[in-house]
Amino acid sequence: MAKIAYYPGCALNERSSHLDRSARDATVKLGFELDELDTWTCCGAVPPVSEERVMNLIAPSRILKDVRDSGRDILITICDFCYNTLKRTNYSIKSDEITRKRVNAFLADDTPERDYLEKDDSLWEDYEGEVKVIHLMEYLRDELGYDKIAGSLEKPLKGLKIAPYYGCVMLRPQNEIQLDDPENPSIIEDFITALDARPVKYPYRTECCGSYLSVSNPDASTRLCYRILTSARNSGADAVVVSCPLCFYNLDSRQKAITEAYSDFKPVPIFYFTQLLSLALGVDCGRQGFEKHYVDVTPVLDKIGVSTGKGDE
Amino acid sequence: MSENMGLAPPKSPPILLTREVVNAGFKQQVNELSGQHMDACYQCGNCSSGCPLAQEMDILPNRIIRLVQLGQRDDIINSETIWICASCFQCTVRCPRGIDIQAVMDALRQIALDEGIDHFGPDQISPELAASVPQPGLVGVYRKLAT
Repeated sequence: MAKIAYYPGCALNERSSHLDRSARDATVKLGFELDELDTWTCCGAVPPVSEERVMNLIAPSRILKDVRDSGRDILITICDFCYNTLKRTNYSIKSDEITRKRVNAFLADDTPERDYLEKDDSLWEDYEGEVKVIHLMEYLRDELGYDKIAGSLEKPLKGLKIAPYYGCVMLRPQNEIQLDDPENPSIIEDFITALDARPVKYPYRTECCGSYLSVSNPDASTRLCYRILTSARNSGADAVVVSCPLCFYNLDSRQKAITEAYSDFKPVPIFYFTQLLSLALGVDCGRQGFEKHYVDVTPVLDKIGVSTGKGDE
Repeated sequence: MSENMGLAPPKSPPILLTREVVNAGFKQQVNELSGQHMDACYQCGNCSSGCPLAQEMDILPNRIIRLVQLGQRDDIINSETIWICASCFQCTVRCPRGIDIQAVMDALRQIALDEGIDHFGPDQISPELAASVPQPGLVGVYRKLAT
């Protein structure tokens, strides 16, 4: 089975472990394996803007350099924040000579002092952005092909209406990310179609859910999520599909606060795209981590004839 | 929480322009930190009309840019807007003049943080939230809103 370098990131390692597990299950079914890096650190979640903050580039650069040094040229991530940070860091290293030199000067200086890395006596080689950072969904679309997914379905999600939610950092800034059209994307719609479900059109799919404001200004995030979810629900969606742990948290857990603030609100179940994928590929429902969801997903599972098995326990 | 539902105030308070303030180098500082050209903005307002958080802000994004052009440093670094911006890049994608407005917001936050104005500290987060928010949210908020 083909092994592809995989950077899970801190959220998938712990609080969003159901995203990680469903992704691993699904990819095995599709004939390749996510090969977690031997050593990795937090990527820093947000890339720095100004040249002054070069320190914020060191962690993602070190991760990318380790991938290059292990002889691989593709790195898969799933978390949108990690994807954005790693890809943009790679972009600045590739396109900006000053950044490249400064980052490599730091990397060359600090590596031997890290006690969790084995001492490396091989010849130093500057990291110049050789690794290609790709999102798992991008890999499914471009390398594997959505046709292959459509052809391997064991449990097609026929009859489900699913609203794609892109959020912000998966697509933007588009000149550096170049995953899809930032205003009229179709990568998740096509993915939903490949699972034999129907994508729902609604206007808020690329609108921000509040991101980290969920911590500093939860009320603002509540208002944004209310707008997004109500719009999806009114357009006929049975569920919303996301790929980012923070989008998931905001859209799912925040429904508690939304229900308290808006009397007309009706809950909408939220899924990770990997959960839908592995369900459709026939992975057991009990492995999807649905107990971590705030909103009950049973109505959606009933529609496609999947038993949650909750009654058995 | 519903009292803040309306649009942002239609009028900003009047400002007094003096040659000293306008020429004090604030615009150049923002240009350098963000790598953008503030003078490229012609005030079409596209950034503000697309901003999902505009209704939470005290100064709309296009007005922030105008105030930078006019060197109004104090108004900006004491505004709520720079802390409400969630860096979602909607404005950046839509700006017809190609200004990365998110980068400008980052630069403004950095200038405010360099003054020692922390907007959000570890003591301001509830233990339940800290125990449940995915890590990108926690790392992101402290990187953006605190020194």
